[in-house]
Amino acid sequence: MEQQSLICTGCGCLCDDLDVTLSQGQLQEVANVCLWGLSRFFPNKRLHPKKERHRLLEPLWRQNGRLQKVSYTKALEQAAAILGTSRRPLIYGLTNTGSWAQEAALQLARKIKARLEPADLAFKAPYYHSLRKHGLYWAPLEVIRDEADTVLFWGANPLHSCPRHLVRYSVFARGRYTERGVEERQVAAVDLYQTEMAKFCHLLVQIEPGQELALLQGVGEHLPGGSGAKPPVKGARKLAKLLSQAQFGVIFFGRGATYNQGFGVLDALGGLAARLGKKQTWALFPLSGDFNSQGLYHLLLNELGVPEAPDFGHEDGVLTSSMPVDFHEFDAILVLGADLFWFLPEDQALAWQQRQVPVVSLSPFANRTTSCAQVVLPTALAGLEAAEVAYRMDGLPLVLKKLLPTALPADRDILLDLIQAV
Amino acid sequence: MPALEELLEFLPGTDCGQCGGNCREFAEFLLKRELAPGDCPVLHEPDFAGFIEALQELLGPAPAAAPGMSIDPEKCNGCGICVTMCEYHLGNCAEARLGRGPRPGDQVVFKVVNGQVVVLRQELCTRMIQAAEKCNKCGDHCPTGAITLT
Repeated sequence: MEQQSLICTGCGCLCDDLDVTLSQGQLQEVANVCLWGLSRFFPNKRLHPKKERHRLLEPLWRQNGRLQKVSYTKALEQAAAILGTSRRPLIYGLTNTGSWAQEAALQLARKIKARLEPADLAFKAPYYHSLRKHGLYWAPLEVIRDEADTVLFWGANPLHSCPRHLVRYSVFARGRYTERGVEERQVAAVDLYQTEMAKFCHLLVQIEPGQELALLQGVGEHLPGGSGAKPPVKGARKLAKLLSQAQFGVIFFGRGATYNQGFGVLDALGGLAARLGKKQTWALFPLSGDFNSQGLYHLLLNELGVPEAPDFGHEDGVLTSSMPVDFHEFDAILVLGADLFWFLPEDQALAWQQRQVPVVSLSPFANRTTSCAQVVLPTALAGLEAAEVAYRMDGLPLVLKKLLPTALPADRDILLDLIQAV
Repeated sequence: MPALEELLEFLPGTDCGQCGGNCREFAEFLLKRELAPGDCPVLHEPDFAGFIEALQELLGPAPAAAPGMSIDPEKCNGCGICVTMCEYHLGNCAEARLGRGPRPGDQVVFKVVNGQVVVLRQELCTRMIQAAEKCNKCGDHCPTGAITLT
């Protein structure tokens, strides 16, 4: 038996306190990992430990409508032929891959003149717009743990997207100036549903779909200096009172904030954080469920100067877009670090299949995208079977180490081979 | 189970009231396992050296079954809130206190293993060594209602 410590690649928290027990080169036990993160180490579905996922071990190629095993070289040739002959290719996903693979994907996108689409663009682009417009405060998660006395979750349920976030940084953790943890913090949530968050939130404002902006307007009117008019949405007055009493506050938003009117809601949330931030410290933070979403935007900012989807297929040069892609434009797609067909609405997925657009998928596990793909290349698990670098949700880069031997290549190696082959 | 009189022989007999009652009442609490010998402040004085150990020997080890904790594996998502909120960990496990997971050698009541909370040393639980009604923190804060305390 051998014990090692490890960084979890389950979500954007990148928990660095995991202890794994290995026996004869096999993973026996992982301590301090949540059920969400466990699916990165054992082949089971997220939050469903009894439902197994099929691990992909050999490259597959679709012939006569069926996926058949082929050699790595043959699969790579096919993938290179699909992407190399495409007039309008798309590289999609990347938020669940390491930073080295993301760099290689960007190289490939430049070479084949593709659009590179982050899987969570609809979630993150409004946030970066808001950040740029309002110039908000930014803090590492440790500072939030140590100092934040008021936390608001907007359209976010961390228990389902990053379960240990609450206990490690935002609500229950005890820090230097928050020695009593949750007893010393005011916690509020805004959601469409009554969630498990109600168990410990001091205030849970349940709203109807489309009431987000009205609620934010009502909160603004009841902050010091506001008109004090009767709020259009119930709970606005209480929420304004809770927020105005903070010394150090944080607004964490989830995908619920961007499901509808994303740019408007994030703009209003940024405005609220900026207004509150004039007197106290306030930060606005996205809760990333994907482990290296932050790394991808870091790369795009470094390479292109904007945290948006770059498109290298235009004659005028590189165009970037903050609006999610229209899939009808593309005639070939490479998916890695995401399950595209899981998120696509049924009609879009069906239309995609009817158009017979070839899909090349890089994935360690079988998923909906691999089942629809023309070529499937299995990959090693980043942070367990392959060394990588990932950025925590607050932008802290962490080195992920290789613990287990595997015959499977890492995402980055496959992408570098593809760059050579196309 | 020792007799009340046997326990009284190893108590100071001063009825000082520092434990909140007299020595007979303290002995009754010891028998019910709602207090531990170490909860008597007078027994920590040098004149009574060895009395705590003698009382512990008379009382014997705490029964493992009661008052117990059951964890529903269908509901637990391994968020670790119970590990951080645990009253015993608060004073005895610096890692858990800060929200991190306990280290391999740490003496803890429970920890998260393979995405589920596993009870390791129930005898350390505050409910086992003091009055049961004093602590329900793990169950009270569990967002999924996976922990049941009996």
